[in-house]
Amino acid sequence: MRKFAPWIALAGLAISLPFAGQYLHFLLATILIFTLVAMSLTILIGFAGQISIGHAAFWALGAYTTAILTTKLGVPFGVGVLAGGMVAAVLGALLALPALRVQGHYLAIATLGFALFVQQVLYEWESLTGGRHGINVLRPAIFGVELNSDLAYCYLLLPVAILFGWITDNLRRSHTGLALFALKMSTPAATSAGIDRARHLVIAFTVSAFFTGISGALYAHLIGYLSTEAFSLEASLGFLTMAVIGGLGSHVGAVLGAAYLTLAPEVFRELKNAQLVVYGLTLMLCMRFLPGGLASIPQVAVRLWRAVRP
Amino acid sequence: MIGQLLISGIAIGSVYALLGLALVLIHKSTDVVNFAQGEMSMFSTFLAMTLVVRLGVPLWLVFVLAFPIGALLGALIERLFIRPMAGSPPVNLLIVAIGLFIVLNNLAGWIWGFDPFKFPSLFTADPVELAPGIRSSQNTLGVIGIAMVVMTGLFVFFEKTREGTAMRAASQNPEAARLMGIDVRRVSTIAWALAGGIGMISGMVIAPQVFLDSQMMVSVLLKAFAGAILGGFNSLPGAVVGGLFIGVAEVLFAAYVSTAFQDSFAFLVIVAVLMFRPTGLFSRSGIKKV
Repeated sequence: MRKFAPWIALAGLAISLPFAGQYLHFLLATILIFTLVAMSLTILIGFAGQISIGHAAFWALGAYTTAILTTKLGVPFGVGVLAGGMVAAVLGALLALPALRVQGHYLAIATLGFALFVQQVLYEWESLTGGRHGINVLRPAIFGVELNSDLAYCYLLLPVAILFGWITDNLRRSHTGLALFALKMSTPAATSAGIDRARHLVIAFTVSAFFTGISGALYAHLIGYLSTEAFSLEASLGFLTMAVIGGLGSHVGAVLGAAYLTLAPEVFRELKNAQLVVYGLTLMLCMRFLPGGLASIPQVAVRLWRAVRP
Repeated sequence: MIGQLLISGIAIGSVYALLGLALVLIHKSTDVVNFAQGEMSMFSTFLAMTLVVRLGVPLWLVFVLAFPIGALLGALIERLFIRPMAGSPPVNLLIVAIGLFIVLNNLAGWIWGFDPFKFPSLFTADPVELAPGIRSSQNTLGVIGIAMVVMTGLFVFFEKTREGTAMRAASQNPEAARLMGIDVRRVSTIAWALAGGIGMISGMVIAPQVFLDSQMMVSVLLKAFAGAILGGFNSLPGAVVGGLFIGVAEVLFAAYVSTAFQDSFAFLVIVAVLMFRPTGLFSRSGIKKV
């Protein structure tokens, strides 16, 4: 029964979707798209222990690749999205090269620099990306059928998110995942046991960038318009906070983090000017009282219950 | 031409150097990469503006008071938000710093609005002839002068005072320092206080050049990061040299190559340097234990 519970919940969600409003469909689509980014950071930070403050760059690469391919070359939607993931993955592998030599905080700053550079290139390369004017993106279409509502898009995104969750899960249990954990625990111990650090870090970066590139491409087709402002430092910081707030261990954490990043601004909107101040404070409070992220609430609750039970 | 460029590069570089010093101080003592350093500067510069414009306190007096006011803010932040996090994993500390960044940035916008303000300068824009053909402005030289005063003050603090010696000891080996009777927690409060004080002064120095608004320090802080990384992120002299290097290189790059990529240039330098010297130009890599 326990094993089927998530599937029953998902089926319930899929059935009840048409009864929700249009805006909720848009929010759900956004959450599903952010979930892919949160999973990609789970792989990079949670498994491999490498911090990135530059994932908006991969997101942007995925988004712009599909935008350019589908609008300028007439490539089908699915091919454009896959190409977006591929381009991001190639640059992810390239970014892994400094990561092989640089660690910890140095790497974080290097990824940050990479993100700023990518954003700048996209802004300046006006003939290709539209630069300051932005670029329009077509609605998603499958075999020529246009998905012209966000509801239809949700039904496409849901299986995609499940697929990537399954990949993440398998990666964790695979030889590569275990090797990454070992490297995270102690690099000298792992390498002396014969684990190839360079190879595994390149894999982690490439897979993580691929996930984020796919997510960016899917986002481009949801929003329908791209400008470089969407891929700023704030986006990178938002991704990092979402992944940590959700919890870096599982895809439940990834979903919760994505939901937090999407819904917190909606919930706090009533606060007007205080909105982001409150958002920042919740980040700090969460780190103070829930260091394992939102996904650790059940464990913390159980611990509290045991503590107060007579 | 080249002389003038060098001087303005040194001026902007000395602001990067000051902020880089603050970043390194905090990193050495509490292991936090302080993303909020720029916002601490910006916020306290708004406080300075309130003192000068609303309450009519003379600007020179605010400059004298800047270090204590900024230090108070820094110490307060450490006690409220950083100390309770002791022992957390680095990525959680990073998120706290990002949270602090968001709070200070938007709090400033909430209190003082999002429009830019003109911040008064201690100096004028009058040209000064340093040598035949090399002209600079009072402003530029003033920035360099103030930065040098602050750096000298820090040097004296670390080399000549009890507290400074305790801080050096604690950053070399916290365990041994604690056994020798040094209060390591007090050391981190002092580090944040110093960083706050340095931050307020650098904010007040840079505000007249760029207009004061809540986004003022974002790109400045990124450059300071670049400089500090270049210097190894653990070395105070390294942060100064790194900051100055970034300032000069950036001005030369903008003048001779491209202004559009001026902001990301600093980071290309970093990535290039880190490829060859993974721990920066000025720090030796330590031995890691299994």
